[in-house]
Amino acid sequence: MMRASALLLTALLLTPAGLARAETLVSTVSNPNIAITSSFDGETLSLFGNVEPDEGKSVVKGPFDVIIVITGPSVDRVARLKTNNFGLWINTEKVEFQPFPTYFQVLGSNPLEKITSHETLEAERILPDAQTRISANPASLHVDRFGTELVALMTAKGLFGINEEGVKFLSPTAYVAHLTLPADISNGLFITQTYLFRNGVLLAKRGDSFAVNKTGFERFLFTSSRDQPLLYGITCVLLAIGTGWLGGAIFRR
Amino acid sequence: MLLAASRIPALQIYLPIAALSMNLFFLVGIGGAVGFLSGLFGVGGGFLLTPMLIFSGVPASVAVSSVTGQVIAASTSGALSYWRRGGIDLHLAMYLILSSIIGVFAGVATFAALRAAGQLDLVISLGYVVLLGFIGTLMMNEAIRALIKRRSGIVVREKLPSQHTWIHGLPLRIRFKRSKLYISVLPVLAIGVGIGFVGALLGVGGGFILVPALVYMLRVPGNVVVGTTLLQVLAMMAATTILQAMQSQSVDILLAFCLMVGGTIGAQFGASAGQYLRGEQLRFLLAALVLAVAIRFAVSLILAPANPFSMAVVGPGGVV
Repeated sequence: MMRASALLLTALLLTPAGLARAETLVSTVSNPNIAITSSFDGETLSLFGNVEPDEGKSVVKGPFDVIIVITGPSVDRVARLKTNNFGLWINTEKVEFQPFPTYFQVLGSNPLEKITSHETLEAERILPDAQTRISANPASLHVDRFGTELVALMTAKGLFGINEEGVKFLSPTAYVAHLTLPADISNGLFITQTYLFRNGVLLAKRGDSFAVNKTGFERFLFTSSRDQPLLYGITCVLLAIGTGWLGGAIFRR
Repeated sequence: MLLAASRIPALQIYLPIAALSMNLFFLVGIGGAVGFLSGLFGVGGGFLLTPMLIFSGVPASVAVSSVTGQVIAASTSGALSYWRRGGIDLHLAMYLILSSIIGVFAGVATFAALRAAGQLDLVISLGYVVLLGFIGTLMMNEAIRALIKRRSGIVVREKLPSQHTWIHGLPLRIRFKRSKLYISVLPVLAIGVGIGFVGALLGVGGGFILVPALVYMLRVPGNVVVGTTLLQVLAMMAATTILQAMQSQSVDILLAFCLMVGGTIGAQFGASAGQYLRGEQLRFLLAALVLAVAIRFAVSLILAPANPFSMAVVGPGGVV
């Protein structure tokens, strides 16, 4: 923990100096507002950018590496462990992670360990495992074990992941990355943090964002269920009675 | 998770509360298949539909709270036709409904507490194993005996067991005219509370428990028992839907609608198909089905899970 904060401090101190002498990163997202409609079945969006020379310089010197970290909105999550008790598998142990991102993808132009040192990856919290250490209650036992398993579960659902071929350079300075969002993605603001490296040194960082929202009828249903639960419940009942009555009436003829 | 869905033409529908995308044909299809069986056997079908949804990847909490819609739809057309024929004892139904709503309150509260404690799935599985295992064994036993007797050529006249039991000696007796009963109100209320609690907790209408309870415990005559049960299930599931919508906010109206559309259509075909099967054959098949679901849940409890770790979202609306 001490070592991590020391590294973080070093990184913070070093970064402005790095930025001052380095190139500027420009980046954007292809679709800043992703709408979840009734036919939503996942969505692919592109993240692209370019390395620009600083003022007073005319050329940039590569080769560069880029890592993009996409973080979704956070919720309070709990990881549970089933153990065998008298022949039955029952949830017995748990560790809570509050708050914990609902989505976390790392895209790289090369294997991450080749792009930069493990210390930098840790300090910048680029690896998914770092998320579990931020949000777990340090007093709970087995944080590391449950954290690793939680990341594995999220990875299995396609919500967490590392893609070391996710960023492609189109030219020595321009890159593009494609991100496929799964269908069961959470709503809210997604942050994309882009890191520019050369020879393992962090040159620049840039944050962008995009929003995922349920739209139209789906949004209306979701907000009704949260804001007007009584009315929503009564509507459900009336809909069911109506359907049952209609079905009976149609088929009786 | 959706092995069955992948072979069906892809028309995905996004379910806003379950927060997942599912195949429309798959949902209407399982609604229809369960509706067919519910029409065939004269049961609501919740005890089949809830497990099918859970085993297809719908979170247990959403499955339990949304299946109620399908049960309401299935009960409505049945209750209406019994109402026209005068096959409902309103007086008895009122006592059952009011007491079952007390049970529903307790069931929904227990549901929320179990979910917060991370034991909801366990209790739902255990509940299904115990309830369906018990009912299924009784039904199977009865059906096999009836089948054997028919085969050996004995004319079976099912006679109800002795007319008076300890239940009929309880105080606070009330006259239920249409059922031609003069019985204590206590067992009526107890049955209502019990059905309400189990129904809300497990996402079943409880018709398949209520009919035998009314027949064997209270001696409700056959001409009103099914109609009264349908009305009671309808009212109780309506209360459950509204309470779940307010308490756990896990009722998915789109999911419920897909299921009830399929279920209503399937039920009509099931009812016509039922005319071609003999009563004891139907009861045997239903018992086999009930036992199969119980065994499926038992296996999930006893076999070591593929991954002992699981995750969930904390707080209301957390459904994963």
